[in-house]
Amino acid sequence: MYGWIWRHLPGNAWVKALLSLVLVLAVVYVLFQYVFPWAEPLLPFNDVTVDNQ
Amino acid sequence: MRVIVRTVSELCITVGALIVLFVAYVLFWTGVRADGAMNDQIDRLHRQWSRGRAQPTAAAPGERTVTARRPEPYRRGEAFAIMYIPRLGAGWHKPVLEGTGTGVLKKGLGHYARTARLGGRGNFSVAGHRRTYGDPFKDFPRLRPGDAVVLTDGSTWYTYRIDKGPYKTVPTDVGVIDPVPGKSGYARPGRYLTLTTCDPEWGHSHRLIVWAHLDATQPVDTGEPGALRR
Repeated sequence: MYGWIWRHLPGNAWVKALLSLVLVLAVVYVLFQYVFPWAEPLLPFNDVTVDNQ
Repeated sequence: MRVIVRTVSELCITVGALIVLFVAYVLFWTGVRADGAMNDQIDRLHRQWSRGRAQPTAAAPGERTVTARRPEPYRRGEAFAIMYIPRLGAGWHKPVLEGTGTGVLKKGLGHYARTARLGGRGNFSVAGHRRTYGDPFKDFPRLRPGDAVVLTDGSTWYTYRIDKGPYKTVPTDVGVIDPVPGKSGYARPGRYLTLTTCDPEWGHSHRLIVWAHLDATQPVDTGEPGALRR
């Protein structure tokens, strides 16, 4: 999987490394901004009320 | 064969990295975001209060409330007060917002919409996160009878004194935020305050409750109440 991505990135090794870094940051951003905020309420830390609203 | 082994190991590494990232998000990033949001709410309140002094709605306990016009209803999702609890730290102060939805509790403490107004007759009830989102009620179990819970709505300081708690109960025990909560020891209607959070610290099987009564009120012009001075 990662080897496949690496082979399909353009440029020499330095450019590939830079692009990989950008890709990783993009994935982390999407996770923190959209995926984790959606997943977090499924965990119990939000249940602090007694009427469950 | 080699491709399968490689793919499986890559997947494992990916899942591991995801889990680590998610833990970092829950433990650290929600706190960073919540601290920012809470400071933002407090700044907004201070700006709002300095723009126009809200009409005084204070009523000392036992005194008959005579207000010319009805105070504005709290707007859902908006902050209307700041809470100080010296026991939780000298610098501990959090905004109180209307409503107890998930989105509201990310920005501060949440006021149960169907309960009394701040300082009003009945039971002013507030919920807060024990962990994550800034850990506002992390030290909830350290609260003791006699501790002060001080609130301001920009025109009045309200000092509540804790009478009972922390009391552990189940999540369906809605009676704890009744106007005269059962098991609190209060027998007559009065001006009460209830705080709720979850228990155990990282779980959701129970709730921790404290009850307090309104001890004193004073206009903000007269300075901070004694409970906040040290």
